[in-house]
Amino acid sequence: SSSITELLGALCDSSLSGVSWKRRALGGVSRESFHRALKKCAYGALLSKIFQDGTKGPASGPSATANTPPRNKVLMICFDLRVAGCREEAERLEEQLEKLPEESSSSGLKEVDAVLELLVHLAGSAPPPVTSF
Amino acid sequence: MASAANANMNAVRETMDVLLEISRLLNTGLDMESLSICVRLCEQGINPEALSAVIKELRKASESLKASENCTN
Repeated sequence: SSSITELLGALCDSSLSGVSWKRRALGGVSRESFHRALKKCAYGALLSKIFQDGTKGPASGPSATANTPPRNKVLMICFDLRVAGCREEAERLEEQLEKLPEESSSSGLKEVDAVLELLVHLAGSAPPPVTSF
Repeated sequence: MASAANANMNAVRETMDVLLEISRLLNTGLDMESLSICVRLCEQGINPEALSAVIKELRKASESLKASENCTN
């Protein structure tokens, strides 16, 4: 098992796939320096979120979905998909959600719900897939 | 002992396949490599909301690099 530092480094690496470093090196931007800048950026985002969470008091009040289980959030997305006319996608999503084991012993992973929560946060964050005509 | 480890490995593989399909349907932009890194970070206790912020920031930074590359071409 790798450390958080190593995993964040690997995440930075995977976000740099497809960049041509030969040409960049001529312009003075090396892979190493950009990797360092990305790591700084990743830690900045991570720490700012942690400190933000720490300052959130009960006075600010939790948002309506803050305590909703991630599986229910996915079901809410399924509902939105149906409303938007994407019935097939909604059904496929529900089907996959049913396949996902609720107990860590049967999934082999301890934090399936945390991963699901992450996917909900990232939902729709990528450009839509290109459709060919 | 070995069969228990194999069973666990199979369970992890099946769960990863389901998570990847959910990820694709939700259009998260994660491929298998980045998803498995994220799963391991979640297993280490990283807050998923904070991790999503990290991924969005990394995308912004690498997109700007790729955009500047296109401008110089």
